[in-house]
Amino acid sequence: MVQQQKQHDFLITGTHDEANRQAYTANLRMHVLAKIGEGLKDVYDHKAAPAFEKATGRAPKDGREAMKAILDDPYGKTWSSMIHTCQEMIWDSVRPAVERAQPEFNEKVRGLNAQHGSLTLDPGVEVPRYVSASDIHLMPGNYHTEHDKDDSTQGALFDRGLYLYQGGFAGPLCDNNGRSQAEVIKRRWPDFKPQKILDIGCTVGNNTLPYADIFPDAELHAVDVAAPCLRYGHARAEALGVPCHFHQMNAEDTAFEDESFDLIVSCILFHETSRTGLAKILKECRRLLKPGGMMLHMEVPRTEGLDPYSAFRLDWDTYYNNEPFLSTWMRTNVSDACVDAGFDAEEYIHIAAPDLGSVPDEEFERYATAEDSASSTHGHWGELVLWNMYGAWK
Amino acid sequence: MSDKIKITPVNRGKRPAFFDDPAIDQLMAIVMSMSAEMSVLYDRVDTIERLLDNKGTLSRDDIEAFRPDQDTEDERNVRRNEYIARLFRIIHEERESLVSHDKMDEYNELMDELAKP
Repeated sequence: MVQQQKQHDFLITGTHDEANRQAYTANLRMHVLAKIGEGLKDVYDHKAAPAFEKATGRAPKDGREAMKAILDDPYGKTWSSMIHTCQEMIWDSVRPAVERAQPEFNEKVRGLNAQHGSLTLDPGVEVPRYVSASDIHLMPGNYHTEHDKDDSTQGALFDRGLYLYQGGFAGPLCDNNGRSQAEVIKRRWPDFKPQKILDIGCTVGNNTLPYADIFPDAELHAVDVAAPCLRYGHARAEALGVPCHFHQMNAEDTAFEDESFDLIVSCILFHETSRTGLAKILKECRRLLKPGGMMLHMEVPRTEGLDPYSAFRLDWDTYYNNEPFLSTWMRTNVSDACVDAGFDAEEYIHIAAPDLGSVPDEEFERYATAEDSASSTHGHWGELVLWNMYGAWK
Repeated sequence: MSDKIKITPVNRGKRPAFFDDPAIDQLMAIVMSMSAEMSVLYDRVDTIERLLDNKGTLSRDDIEAFRPDQDTEDERNVRRNEYIARLFRIIHEERESLVSHDKMDEYNELMDELAKP
């Protein structure tokens, strides 16, 4: 069964009824996503694609055409309307509890006596347009909005909403992605012992903190542009007793010195950037890495080389879950982008692996260590998803 | 003290309508919200029953303070998922009907067949 979210001093779940409404909303979303969502394939094969073919004289050729065919079908309309509503319901189920906790909650975060890590904010950091242009994942207020002085509201909203969005499948700390990537690094390169690690685009640090578990000798740093997430993330890390240094910086242009880090990672960040943002971030990673250091960035599966139906499942979020750059990311040649940033083509890394714990450990190990693990990189939400990890050695 | 915080969308954009009539999208959202409220009510009843089983008495404070342990939450998740499956039966049925034959077509064909002299 799915584990409940781990309670800590700063997690807000609200009243008896609010917590149960949140739990139900997570159940509902997973049902619509996986159970009703898996019917889309039958609808596509038996109804939507034949109807498209009848109208145009040919089969849908890509994800966009498959989406058009499915959205013309009543089942596709119903599913889309439902999953979109679920996404809104997730945030709506958390919002009243977070609002009611203020302003005392901000006071509590402000009064924190840090024992393990640190928080360094820089109000001069501008939120790039690719973050501010839309409420990503329909989260009202997005990552960065400050409703008050020293505000942590959006961080609290995101932490609880993220757990519900994942239906608990990323674990009680919502950290399975970061944990899985850290495990891949450790198992694939057992002699690589990073001393300084940087996570870029960390939000509330949920996928940052597992690096402290898996590389306990390393000094852990994390950057993001969104102050409310950093304040909350710092408080959360302290409550969980994990040492991590949070900095408000733009990953395109950080304030760290050249060659500061052995390992730079990100977790599902790139598809929320832009083409130019991505190029700058990769260049900055190269500047920040020590010689012999590595960067590795985890991302969602790609539509490249996928059949139109599978591409549709991934493209849907681009259009309707406020992920405007997901589609651009899907069509980016990452290997070329790394070379353009100054990395050697021979040092390019591309790995695909499922979440740790989603498959038997031997199977995870196989993905983590296989030469050609990236040869099959498909997966639909609600099914076994293989995450892609892209990077390079310096 | 500052004013109470209201979390509002800053850049969400227009709500998409998937049906030809946006009122159907709204109706869908209402039905789904209503399904959540029924589940919340059921969980409250469940809390009351558990408190009565354990203590034999009840207070509102006890209800508000009750938080399910993992076993209780597992049970609730099973019940919620069964409830959701019953609620959206009609959608699953549409899918199941796709891969089998159309009974009405079959019937009409039969009628045509029998109507022949």
